[in-house]
Amino acid sequence: MRKLFTLLAMMLAICSINYAHAQSKVVSGRVTSSEDNAALPGVSIAVQGTSVGTTTDIDGNYRITLPSEANTLIFSFIGYTNQVVQVNSRSQINVSMVIDSKQLDEVVVTALGIERSERSLGYATQEVSGDNLTFTKEQNVVGSLAGKVAGVQVVGSSGASMGGTQKIKIRGVNSVAGGGEPLIVVDGTPISNANFSGSTGIDLGNLSQDINPEDVESVNVLKGPAASALYGIRGQFGVIMITTKKGRRGAEKVSVQLNSAFSVERVGNIMPYQNMYGGGSSQTWRTLPNGDKYVQMNVDESWGPLMDGTPVRQVFSFYPQDPTYGQLTPFVPHPDNIKDYYETGSTLNNGVSISGGSDRTNYRISLNDTRIQGVEPNTWLKRNNLGVSLGVDLAKKLTASANINYARNTAQRPAQGSEDGSRYLGQWFQRSLDMNRLKNYQYADGTFLHWNLRTPSSTTGEVTNFKPLYWNNPYFEAYENPSNDNRDRFFGDVGLTYQVLPELKLSGFVRSDMFTQNVESRTAFGGTNVPGYSVAKYQNKEFNYEFLAQYSKEWGNFSLNANLGANLYDRNYTYISQATAGGLSVPGYYNLAASIDRPTSGRELYPSYELNKQIRSGYGMVSLGYKDTYFVDASFRRDHSSTLADPYWYPSVSGSFVFSELLPVSPLSYGKLRVSYAEAGSDVDVYATSVNYGIGGIYDGVNTITVPDNLANPLIRPAFARSYEAGIDLKFFQDRFGVDFTYYQQRNKDEVFKLAVSGASGYESTVINAGLIENKGIELTLTGTPVQSQLFTWNAVFNLNRNRSKIIELAPDIDALLLGSTTYSSTSSYLYSYVGEKFGSLVGQAYQRDEETGKMLLDANGLPLYTTATHNFGSVLPDYTGGFQNTFRIWKIDAAAMIDFQVGGKFFSRSKMLAVRTGLDPITVATNDKGHNVRDAVSEGGGVRVDGIYGPDVTINGENVGGQEVTLYVDPQTYYGTTARRIYEDWLYDASYVKLREVRLGYTLDKSILGNLPVQGVNIALIARNPAMIWQKAPKGLDPSELSTGSQSISWYESGQLSTVRSYGVNLNITF
Amino acid sequence: MKKIYIVLLSCLALGSCDDLSELNVNPNLPSEASGTQLIANAELSLPSLSASPTGEFLAQYLAETQYVTASLYPAGGTSFYWLYQGPLMNLQTVLINAENLDGNEGPVANQLAVAKILQAYYMWHITDRWGDVPYTEALQGADNFTPAYDTQEYIYNNLFTLLDEANEQIVSGNISNDIIYGGDMAKWKKLGNTIHLLMALRLSEVDPVKGQEEFNKALAAGIMTSNDDNLVFHHLANANNQSYWYSQWVTQNREWWALTETLVGEMKPVADPRLEVYGQPARKTGEYIGLNFGETVNMNTEDYSLLGTAIYAQDAPVYLVTYAQALFAQAEAAKRGWITGGDAEAEAYYNEAVKQSVMQWTGSNEGAEELLSQPGIAYNPANAIEQIATQRWIHLFMHGYEAWAEWRRTGYPDNLVTPGGKAVPRRQMYDALEASLNAANYNAALQRQFNGEDGLYGRVWWDQ
Repeated sequence: MRKLFTLLAMMLAICSINYAHAQSKVVSGRVTSSEDNAALPGVSIAVQGTSVGTTTDIDGNYRITLPSEANTLIFSFIGYTNQVVQVNSRSQINVSMVIDSKQLDEVVVTALGIERSERSLGYATQEVSGDNLTFTKEQNVVGSLAGKVAGVQVVGSSGASMGGTQKIKIRGVNSVAGGGEPLIVVDGTPISNANFSGSTGIDLGNLSQDINPEDVESVNVLKGPAASALYGIRGQFGVIMITTKKGRRGAEKVSVQLNSAFSVERVGNIMPYQNMYGGGSSQTWRTLPNGDKYVQMNVDESWGPLMDGTPVRQVFSFYPQDPTYGQLTPFVPHPDNIKDYYETGSTLNNGVSISGGSDRTNYRISLNDTRIQGVEPNTWLKRNNLGVSLGVDLAKKLTASANINYARNTAQRPAQGSEDGSRYLGQWFQRSLDMNRLKNYQYADGTFLHWNLRTPSSTTGEVTNFKPLYWNNPYFEAYENPSNDNRDRFFGDVGLTYQVLPELKLSGFVRSDMFTQNVESRTAFGGTNVPGYSVAKYQNKEFNYEFLAQYSKEWGNFSLNANLGANLYDRNYTYISQATAGGLSVPGYYNLAASIDRPTSGRELYPSYELNKQIRSGYGMVSLGYKDTYFVDASFRRDHSSTLADPYWYPSVSGSFVFSELLPVSPLSYGKLRVSYAEAGSDVDVYATSVNYGIGGIYDGVNTITVPDNLANPLIRPAFARSYEAGIDLKFFQDRFGVDFTYYQQRNKDEVFKLAVSGASGYESTVINAGLIENKGIELTLTGTPVQSQLFTWNAVFNLNRNRSKIIELAPDIDALLLGSTTYSSTSSYLYSYVGEKFGSLVGQAYQRDEETGKMLLDANGLPLYTTATHNFGSVLPDYTGGFQNTFRIWKIDAAAMIDFQVGGKFFSRSKMLAVRTGLDPITVATNDKGHNVRDAVSEGGGVRVDGIYGPDVTINGENVGGQEVTLYVDPQTYYGTTARRIYEDWLYDASYVKLREVRLGYTLDKSILGNLPVQGVNIALIARNPAMIWQKAPKGLDPSELSTGSQSISWYESGQLSTVRSYGVNLNITF
Repeated sequence: MKKIYIVLLSCLALGSCDDLSELNVNPNLPSEASGTQLIANAELSLPSLSASPTGEFLAQYLAETQYVTASLYPAGGTSFYWLYQGPLMNLQTVLINAENLDGNEGPVANQLAVAKILQAYYMWHITDRWGDVPYTEALQGADNFTPAYDTQEYIYNNLFTLLDEANEQIVSGNISNDIIYGGDMAKWKKLGNTIHLLMALRLSEVDPVKGQEEFNKALAAGIMTSNDDNLVFHHLANANNQSYWYSQWVTQNREWWALTETLVGEMKPVADPRLEVYGQPARKTGEYIGLNFGETVNMNTEDYSLLGTAIYAQDAPVYLVTYAQALFAQAEAAKRGWITGGDAEAEAYYNEAVKQSVMQWTGSNEGAEELLSQPGIAYNPANAIEQIATQRWIHLFMHGYEAWAEWRRTGYPDNLVTPGGKAVPRRQMYDALEASLNAANYNAALQRQFNGEDGLYGRVWWDQ
């Protein structure tokens, strides 16, 4: 770190030299709109003939220093006519800007960083300003897009994961196999959004979180293949273009911004649990040889006796070191025992940025420090970001620029998914356990306290082996078995731009994304698992060498914009992954050298791995405009990827028609029609065409080799997507209200995917080119400023996307594609895609039902019969996604609220299923229709009421009762032992929700209050992230908006999801 | 200025004439494999043919002490994919690449013979568990991703032929990388013929004529002659090669299995010396006490005989095809008149089988004579088939699938329990994945065998 500060100090020194020689005449004033006299913030003010400039502040005020020889100021603002003002001897100049309905030439950053006027674009893009991403200090740029862009679906993970996965999809699923993520580009540099997590364990999150959100000026989402056509093979799934903040040329002074936020995090939305029956497998008390009743510590379920205060030996009383050793204590419920495990987390974020420039340079430097204490005990994350962006005019027409970003993450994260870490608490646990007693997990003599122990000796009544059976004390897990990770990352670019002719600009860039990711985990002595140590190191080096020529010229009514470029992509990626086997030689010695047996490849498939890849590309684009009203674009790109034998071409065409140009003045201030067509390709995995053997086990010096389960296919070609898109953009009443509507259709053909095949063929899967997936949908964005006045302004943005992903064909003779499976207790459920159906069907075992009545079929014991695991429960994908953002400014108070929602989609919850099966869930102590608790003996009126029909040929006492209707009462442990183990039907939930995701309430202290303080402005705000789930269809305790399971591309089941975290805090912004 | 544009246009040509194929060679995996390395990998899967609680439940050797579920015979598919994708495909790769096999690793004919014997053994195991399964069209990779199912009869006949081929092509000369017999081809030859013999006996009910013929052919070709010839997989005392039961019992602390009352009830009254190996005395009483199979409530691990320590040792052996089995088979064949000698020979083979079984399990003959003198154990011509079958069942302890097959064929032991009213299954159901990935053939096979229903109670061809 010290080196960084030295570097920073040096840069400041360099910049302040420029600052020092700015001199002479000072002009100030206020800029308003002629329409309503409201202050206009953000108006650009330039001194003609120089590169000096500034902008108005939030109240429309400005202050600018003119070089002695200059006399003319130019005021410009989007949507208004430029004003040219002679200064003469004045020092106070107020300006009233006039709206220009024709001047709506908003500049949009398009593919490859090419700036285009919005009206010339024949495809949909949507921009979100950085302020709209950071208003509640969300740390993950991808996560902060949730609900803010029509057609973009973000599936997040719990805040407890700290930096966990935020998955993004644009316009539904566009590949048969469900994969495909948008390319993330920062200032023109493609960066990795890889994920090193599995579906369980620590969630390291998607790597784009290394972007400092405070550096983001804007995010522009290129949604369809036409928009991303110039990215060719890498852009098929859309592009997230991020532009970072830059210093301004000719800025009068150095601008320093401080940004601090502190928030506290609490777990919310914990699943409800029953508090009547405690740990054990039956309601009958077990007794020690001396007659004392004891709790069954070997049972990790809550089917035990009633928690009525009976004095019993609880687990603590079996530890001779424990003060309650040998004592009886009351058997009572601990209703908050799971909640008690969570701590109050906190996030402290401090950022500073310094920006400025001279007439020939601009610079911006930012530093950010984030420290998170997790809600799970002993978890934390620290992140540091450093960003430097520089621009220097080397000669009259030659500009050099550099953007350098450094990010460092160091974390100790909780395990998530399945039963990892503390996740078993909601799945296999005793309601009678006192979590606060487990907290001190080690006795003074070093013995660890656990709760899941062996049965006491039937002769002595003692426990002598304190090695836990299946579960560790969760605190032991948190403090003795931590997982640590860290990542150092550099990304950015250096470039030269040469303005050869007024109409021709040439530029060259070297872009890079480099990181080293380390992951290690420890398993200590004294727990249930074999002690061990696992370590993995990943290194990525990606370089892009880019050349671009940009030509633009106008002849009378015609305008031409042409671009030609070339790119060389070069990636080298390696990892080394090892884990000890068979235990560690010395307690506390975590090193591969401590491995008792030959180490394994740990968390990865191979102990060492190398990947090399190149793509060589050439591309071009031509846009022709007529009368600033009609535009036609054509682009092509040629990619030659080393993963494929041959190069391929990807063309696109688009057009736009600004019809409002032809209309008389009307409420409609802007109207554009746009259509586009594009063909985009997608690359195949590295080495997908390489035929190899696999590595088998090693037995006593014999290294075995195996035929791999996946059959590689050397004949793979890239897949082609053909997409059509048409849309209309309308703005009304001087742009106060806007409507963007897009209809799109994309057909991805000849997809490259892993096809699961009958294992009897000798292979589990093969890679083929086949299939056709079609996505159709609409996107709607409504923007509006319902109220706009000096004291009160209200802005609103509403986004909606409806998408249908449908499989049209797979491969000849293949009508089912297996996408995923999960197995528990020998029962599997699957994610399939079927020809002719929506993408992503959940498939599993369902109740067998009588065809006529729909009643369930029962066996002789009254337990439901079930189908094989072939029942199709429908698609996991949502029908609609969207968001609604409102921002208000009332006098000096600003407020913002962000709501996002999803309609439709399904998921499977294993947490819920297990909570029922193990007797934790309240349903297992429900009152039946006879008024008895279901846990009461069936003979005494208890039991779960089951209405059904005996299955065919069911015999009871030799009599065939098949087909008879019957109402039975079944012991809940037996009943749920079947339904919550074998029948998935009951554990599928609708994923619809409406969520209040972000809220901010701020107050601005301006100069009038701050007086002589050397401060320009201060804003202090209360912020809340994830404060409430307004509505959800799934039961309490499950969060359908946080289903991300590590790197899995489709979220279709929940298993040991981390608890939802609600975050409340304060944000302070100071501008100097 | 023109020059600039020419330069610009030429940049499009960039990358157009490059050969990038060198970059696409996977450096992370081998592109070559020797025949014996593939065979060795197939051998590594052998213990998985026995190491499964499901098999022990089907044969009712073990009862569950906690989380009672699998022993209640729940309906549900079981996958056979791993057997095809794993060992069978490795062996197939050896067989179809005969011309590329390396003679330095032992005579090519012997490499092929070993591959055939192992392939026959795996296929036999598969068809006995599921019934009709893919065979002729299986293992063809891209040539057939939806292989048709062959009838069990067809598979048996083909396996007999395959084993004949193996028997005939074996020449002198060891092969390398053999982790089972250290390359000893004489032992492989005996193994192949013993498998042939045991398969032949499986036809006793459905086609005794064919069974007798194949039985005698195998006998003539030379079967196992001592416990040294056994097909045993020796686990090693390290984490990478440890036994399944060790990983369950010791690594995962799962004291989940006790000997069934059915098994203890057969062994304890006659002081069977193998009982001390099979299980531990109950901790509470020090006595051997079996747990009733299918019991679901109030079990206490203190009260019952848990799985024996030698069985879950890290380096425990897994017995798959044994000399004692061959002797039991001959005893039964003599009794059935498939071979000469009648009851006298049957008794001799039976006695030797029990002795060799005791030897195999305990390492000594101690107690074997006494056991054979016990009433009910001593050979009795009147119920010899039952005696042979019951003693074979005891011998096959922990090789549940094989014992279950023999139970289905002979009906002994005839006191197996029906947990929760559910009878012992007669086969395993196909996995649900076949219903979608190979639907037409799956449905045809079900139609042909079981009227279209995939269930646990359809009977395979030889189980009639």
